[in-house]
Amino acid sequence: MLANTMPGNVLGVGRVAITAELARAASNGSPGAIAVTADPANTARASRETVLAATREIANGSLAEVVDACDRDGFYPRDVLQALGRAGAMSAHLDMPERPADFGTTIAAMAEAGRICGATGFMMWCHAVCGLYMQASGNPALNGAALARHAAGETLGGTGMSNPMKTFAGIENMLLKARCTALGYVVSGNLPWVSNLGPDHYFGAVCAVLDADGVAQPGKEIMFMIRCDAPGVTLRDCPSFSGMEGTGTYAVALKEYLVGADDLIADPVRPFIGRIKAAFILLQTGMGLGVVQGAIDSIWRVEQQLGAVNAYLEDRPDPLQDELDLLTGRIMTLATTPFATGDAYLRQVLDARAHVSELALRAAQSALLHQGARGYLMTSDVQRRVRESHFVAIVTPALKHLRKELARLSATPIPA
Amino acid sequence: MTQRAADPSGASEDALPWQTYICNACGLIYDEEEGDVDGGLAPGTRFADIPEDWACPLCGVRKDDFVPYQQIAAGSGNAATGFPESRVADIVPDTFHPTRSGGRTRMLGKVDGVVIVGAGRAGWEVAQAVRRRDPEIPITLVTGCAGDRYDKPLLSIAHAKAIPPQAMVRERGLDAARRLQVHLLSDTFASGLSPESHQLRTTRGSLYYRKLVLAQGARPRQFDALPAASCWRINDLDTYRHLRERLATDGNQGRDIIVVGAGLVGCELTNDLAIAGHRITLVDVSATPLSSLLPPPAAAALLHAWKDLPIRFVGKVEVAGVATDGVRRILHANDGRIFTADHIISATGLEVDRALADSAGLAWQDGIAVDASTMATSAPDVFALGDCITIDGTASRYIEPILRQAQAIAGMITGIDPVPYVQRPSPLRIKTSSCNLQLDGMPAAHGSWRIDTEHAPTASGTQLCMSQWTGNTLQARLTVGN
Repeated sequence: MLANTMPGNVLGVGRVAITAELARAASNGSPGAIAVTADPANTARASRETVLAATREIANGSLAEVVDACDRDGFYPRDVLQALGRAGAMSAHLDMPERPADFGTTIAAMAEAGRICGATGFMMWCHAVCGLYMQASGNPALNGAALARHAAGETLGGTGMSNPMKTFAGIENMLLKARCTALGYVVSGNLPWVSNLGPDHYFGAVCAVLDADGVAQPGKEIMFMIRCDAPGVTLRDCPSFSGMEGTGTYAVALKEYLVGADDLIADPVRPFIGRIKAAFILLQTGMGLGVVQGAIDSIWRVEQQLGAVNAYLEDRPDPLQDELDLLTGRIMTLATTPFATGDAYLRQVLDARAHVSELALRAAQSALLHQGARGYLMTSDVQRRVRESHFVAIVTPALKHLRKELARLSATPIPA
Repeated sequence: MTQRAADPSGASEDALPWQTYICNACGLIYDEEEGDVDGGLAPGTRFADIPEDWACPLCGVRKDDFVPYQQIAAGSGNAATGFPESRVADIVPDTFHPTRSGGRTRMLGKVDGVVIVGAGRAGWEVAQAVRRRDPEIPITLVTGCAGDRYDKPLLSIAHAKAIPPQAMVRERGLDAARRLQVHLLSDTFASGLSPESHQLRTTRGSLYYRKLVLAQGARPRQFDALPAASCWRINDLDTYRHLRERLATDGNQGRDIIVVGAGLVGCELTNDLAIAGHRITLVDVSATPLSSLLPPPAAAALLHAWKDLPIRFVGKVEVAGVATDGVRRILHANDGRIFTADHIISATGLEVDRALADSAGLAWQDGIAVDASTMATSAPDVFALGDCITIDGTASRYIEPILRQAQAIAGMITGIDPVPYVQRPSPLRIKTSSCNLQLDGMPAAHGSWRIDTEHAPTASGTQLCMSQWTGNTLQARLTVGN
């Protein structure tokens, strides 16, 4: 493993955290077996290690117990998510009075959980970006105590941004529409799939704003929080997915839903999305990094018995691990400037996210080939991970969306 | 397979450590300590005591298909998994190590030979030079356009000569690819590079290369004040074709065009568009055109040669922004001046898109830094040439060096006919046909010029020769006129 051959402090904490050191700690059953010194230079690192050690303990403990139920039986791991919240695994990227934001830690924590359960890694992302919306909104009602409760996992949130993101990329049309009334914006419409929801959850969404004639005004949208328990909101079960059934994913119907000033996230929306877009996409890489590491773990699990014949497969665990470590390193570097402006940065984030999808697909496929028939058992974790890797590649932003956006940003525009 | 469990002879059974056995069919591990409660085996059931009719809970085979299994102790190797550090090599018998010589290398079937990014002159030159040396090696060429071969200098002179854009294509990309046996990936953008795994990510999937050549070129510099949505940037045939079409649909009469930037490209386009009948306002932050190359007498000669053309040069203009009134474009200068036109062309210099280089951590010095003789970048097996490179921090964006750089790279890649690149100044011919300008040597930016010969302007133009000296060394010579 590349990380083992280089001094940890050269790599940046991220790569070490996700791969070599975390793996060692997990295997030894001694989470947090990493030297933490009082050197002020190591404070950030120590704080990251504390969060990751706690995350690892939850992932290998209570999460590992429910992972199959979460994948196939629709079990929503609320307790696990709230424990992760208490451990700080979904909030390190938020600026808090006591410490600065650290995107790398949130990504690494998602990877830790995603290594055991891709669905949970995904829900952590949903919750984490919801916190990002709250903080970036600048709305006092969504900051302060509300944000603190969110950060600690006392309350749980999701994100309904797939449709608006695709609308802004010219792939879909806005599904939610608002009328402006004396009371405020009144929103109606249906969103097909919104994740990490429950009866007392909330999530960020965007709607088009109609003019007096009921026509959507070009470029006029608002972003706001939808409270699942508020009047006018109905959660409907979705048809079964092939996996990751326990992600609290529902179709959301809004009928005359009133948006109060306390729940307004952004108006106008596009500049706001422009500011957080790279961070939004970058955070999502954590889920996929975890799925890749989980797949590599599965390959090693059969190496002793099947190594002689597995040696004939491409995508062997060593090169996969090297690729994962380097990709993680790239992502950790990008995570130090999550709000950098300019197309060059955004393109690197899009490329890293696309690379995560490609690698997840290859690693999971390879894990299945390495495990052979045992990996084809419905109960096999490899079987689950193949479906998780598919999810990594199709969830918004899907691999094809990322490439389309990369092509758009790379092309020479022709003036109108 | 028969059971080969060690017989715990002699010692009391309770004192023996628990053993584990692995199912040869599915890999399930039977741990004596845990037993198989669902299968009727209480915790602590020794393997030897398992009844013959017991079946593997996962796959259903009998105990005969289990063999003793010993997990390699953590700490003896990779602690993450309990497997030895050297992994494949330690586990695989010596006769079975197809990946051993390169345990970390991908299977060769996935490696795509030479991959070239960019189908401009540089990219095709490398493809040609490599193919000439090696008829077999796979070559893949990735380009964001169709890959058609054309002479870029034509973009500066074709309108005045009434050459239609379609006639500027010397060879279609598809035909060149067929001729050179190149796999052409057109309309495809390279988005990321991982030299460690020899992986190039593109908008149509990832490629694995043995050798990579970056020939991505340079692109017009981007300024917020000159947004791409309302200003033309003429740097490729496709955009040029759109501009020509737009000028033609505008009624083929002369249009009002503002050209921002009086450097090489700005002056050449101005000259060409004006001769073609358009009315040009050429603006620049400097007081004279081509101010970084031409001493004032030469700039004056150029302006003089333009005096009968519909060209207005306005110096000392700093652009504040661009607006539109629905029909015309309006350019606002910082000092309050306003210019109006049908089209705005931004010619404010070139820059190299660094996203790809940054994704790979390539050494960078205002461009991809390469070795002066081999064209090797800082990453193994990655070369670069043409407009995207700098040598000792200096770019040289001319055609002639590209041809020799391509030969150097092809020699390096194939090991055949190595011809190290030698940096030398190229004569610069500025394609302002109404006043030919030729520059030889390397003028210093703030060096002083002296006039060698000068003739008064005549009907056939002016004639001016100037030179720049450092001590007794001739630095550069400039010839102005027809």
